[in-house]
Amino acid sequence: MINTAHASQIALTLSQAGVSAGREAAYYMRYDDSPERVQLPFITYAVLGKPDIKTILPEEVDPVGGVFDALVVLDSSMLIKSTSQRSLLLDGAKRNAALVVNTSLGPEVVLKLVKRYACAQDWEGKIVTVRAKRYNQNIALGAIGALAKAIEPEVTLDNIIETLYALGNDEEKVDAVRRAYDDSDPVSVALRAEDCEPYKLKSSLAEKKSRAPKALKPWDRERYVEIKNRAAEAPTYELRYESMPRWEEIAPGLVEFGPKVGERNIGFKTSFARTFRPVIDEKKCVDCKVCHVFCPDGAIDYDPIRIDYDYCKGCGICARVCGPRAISMPHELKVLEDLDEEEFLTIREALIEYAY
Amino acid sequence: MWTGTRAIAEAVKLADVDVIAAYPIRPYTGVMNALATMIAKGEFSAEYLVCDSEHSQFEVVKHASAVGARTFVGSSGTGLVYGAEAAVVIALGQLPVVGIVGCRALDDPGNFGMEWNDALLFRDVGWIMSWAKDPQEALEMTLVAYRIAEDERVLLPNFVAVDGATITHVASPVTPSTKSQVEEFLPPYRPAHPLDPAHEAVSKAMHISPSLIGPEQRKALDAAMKRAKAKVIPEAWKSWVDVTGKETPAFVETKHAEDADYVMLTMGAYSKNVDYVVGKMRDRGVKIGSMRLRYFRPFPTEEVREALDGVKGVGIVDFSFSLGSPQNGSILYNEVKAALYDADERPQVMGFIFAGGREMKIADLSKAAELLVDSTRKGRVDHPVRWMMVRGEDA
Repeated sequence: MINTAHASQIALTLSQAGVSAGREAAYYMRYDDSPERVQLPFITYAVLGKPDIKTILPEEVDPVGGVFDALVVLDSSMLIKSTSQRSLLLDGAKRNAALVVNTSLGPEVVLKLVKRYACAQDWEGKIVTVRAKRYNQNIALGAIGALAKAIEPEVTLDNIIETLYALGNDEEKVDAVRRAYDDSDPVSVALRAEDCEPYKLKSSLAEKKSRAPKALKPWDRERYVEIKNRAAEAPTYELRYESMPRWEEIAPGLVEFGPKVGERNIGFKTSFARTFRPVIDEKKCVDCKVCHVFCPDGAIDYDPIRIDYDYCKGCGICARVCGPRAISMPHELKVLEDLDEEEFLTIREALIEYAY
Repeated sequence: MWTGTRAIAEAVKLADVDVIAAYPIRPYTGVMNALATMIAKGEFSAEYLVCDSEHSQFEVVKHASAVGARTFVGSSGTGLVYGAEAAVVIALGQLPVVGIVGCRALDDPGNFGMEWNDALLFRDVGWIMSWAKDPQEALEMTLVAYRIAEDERVLLPNFVAVDGATITHVASPVTPSTKSQVEEFLPPYRPAHPLDPAHEAVSKAMHISPSLIGPEQRKALDAAMKRAKAKVIPEAWKSWVDVTGKETPAFVETKHAEDADYVMLTMGAYSKNVDYVVGKMRDRGVKIGSMRLRYFRPFPTEEVREALDGVKGVGIVDFSFSLGSPQNGSILYNEVKAALYDADERPQVMGFIFAGGREMKIADLSKAAELLVDSTRKGRVDHPVRWMMVRGEDA
C-alpha cells in the first residue's frame, strides 16, 4: 500500500522514456473490480509499442505467456504470494522476461522463491536485485535504475535520464538512478515449468477439474460454499474462472449466502498483501484480550487468543497496543522461509517521503 | 362501474399483496387512494407505506420482495423516471415486483397527456410489460402479472401499463374476479432464497470482477424472459380461460385481419378508436384490419409475423417518440420493423406518431389509415414516419 506512489512513478517514467525513444506508450492502474480504488497488492502497468500499441492476440502468444517483458517487485514479500486475482507472480511473463526485485536477498534466493511460489511456466530470463533505499529514500529511483539495466536496449538509460529531468527530478535524484543502474548486475536464469511447485499444483487441479461431475447442481448454501472455496483455492485466474458456475446454475439475482456464526467469510481470504505478520510470544502474553479488541479486522479469535492469518493484514496495531509487548512483527519471509530481508520501507519512512 | 385505477386496486386486494409502496403522481394516484380506502375500511390488510419519493418507493418494494413479500408499486411519467435506479435493479436482480404505469407524457413539459415513453424507458432491462385496453383488462392483467412474475421459471418484474386518463380516470363496467377464482389461479409467493437470516441468504448480486460472472448473470435473465414468452405467459392466460371461461389471447388480438391487405397496429385503450376506424373502412369495402399488442415485453415477434403474413401494409399507431432513431421513427414502429425483418415477405411499414400528450381525434386516425392504404397501393412509402397532430409542417 505504501508503494502505490512508487509504482506509479516507475510506470510514468518508463512510459515517458518510451515516448522519448520514439514509441507509443500508455500506463494504467488495475481497473478490475474497482477502478480507482487501491487494490492490494497494488499493480501498475506500462505498455510500450513501436510505433503502435498492439493488442496481443491469443494466437500470437507464446504458449509460455507472452504478455510482459519485465516485472518490478518493490516489496519482496510479494514473491511468496499470489495476487488478489489468484494469479502467480510470473503468470503472463514472456519466456525471457526480466524480474527486478527490491531486496537484500541475492538472485539465487529470489530464484528459489520463484520456483517454489511464483512460477508455473518455462522461464529463461533474468533476475536483477537492487537495494533501492541505498540510492535514495524514494525507492522508485533505485528501482528505475535497476529496471533500465534489465530492459536495455528497448529503452536506454539516456532515454530515462532525459525523462527524469523532464519530469522535474533534480541532479541528486538522477544520480541515484545512474548509480543503481551502474551497480545492477542481471543474472540469467532458467526454470522449467515441471520443476516449479505451482505448476504441479495447477496440473493436479486441472486434472480434478476434468473429472468434475457434468450434472448441474441446485444453487443452495452447500453449492455456493463449494464454488467459493474452489475459486479461492485456484492458483491462477484461469482456474478461478473455470470454477465459476454456468449461467444455468445461478440462482436468480445471484443470491449469496453468509458465513455461519463464528466463521469469518466463505472462500475469500484477505491476507495477500501482508509484508509483516504479528507473532504472539505465548510466554509473555497475559491474555488481556486487548489485541482482539483493537484488531480492526476482527482477525484475532477471542478464546483462546489466536491470530487468523487468512484475514490478518499485518497492520501492526495489535503489536502496538499489546501491554506486555508480547507481539512482534517479523517479515513474512522470515516466518515462512527463515530469510532475513532487510530491504523494506517502514510506514514512517513512507510518510516522511509522502506526508502532506 | 370502475375506473382503471379502482379496478387495479381490486386486483391488488384479490392478490392479497403484502407490501404496497405508494407515492402520489397523477394519473396513477387513483390506485393509491383506492387501496388506502380499502385498507382503512378493513377490506384487506397490507403494509401500506407512503414513501418520501418514487426513488424510495421502488427501493421499498425491491427490498420487500427480496425478503419474500408480495409487493405492489406504481408511478407515472417523470415520477417513474425518478424511481429508475431501483426499478432497473429490481429487474436485473430478478425480483417479481408487480407495478403499474399510468402512462403520462414525460417532463418537459410533463403535461397530463398520454404518452408511452415513461414505461418504455425500461424495455431493455428485464421488466415484462403488458398494455391494458380498459379497466377490465387492467384488473385481469394485474392479477395474471403476479402469477407470471412469481413463477420460478421467470422471476421477472411486471409492469401493467394503463393509458393515462382513458383507462386510469374513465369508469366503465368491470366484472371483478372472485376470491375463489383467484385462489385457484394464484398460488402464494414462495421465493427459494429470501434474503432473510433465517434462510441463510444474505445478499444478492455477487459484486466481483465482471469478467468472472457478468455475462452469465445477463444470460440467466435472457433465459427467464424466453421462458416467459414460450411457456409461462401462454400457460397463465390459458389457465385464466379455465378459471373465468373467457377466451383471451395471450399476446396479440386482431380484428378483421384474416384477409386484410392493410393492418393498423397499436397498444392500449386507443385500440378501440382504431377498431372503430377500421370497422368504418371495412364497411366501405377496404380490406383493412386492426391489431393490438397485449405484451410489449417479451415482444410477440412470432405472433406479429404470423398475423401480418400476407398483409401488404402495416400502420403503427404509436404514442411514443424516439428522437434520432432509425428513420427518425418511434419505439413501437422500430420494434415492429425489426420483428418483420426476417419475414419471408415484408409489408410496407408506416409509423404514425401521436406523441406529445394531445388527445387523438378520429379524423387523424382516419387520415393515417387512408395514408397507409394509399402508400401501400402505390407500392412505395414516401415519408414512412408521420407526426399526425402537429400544427405546422411535418418535415
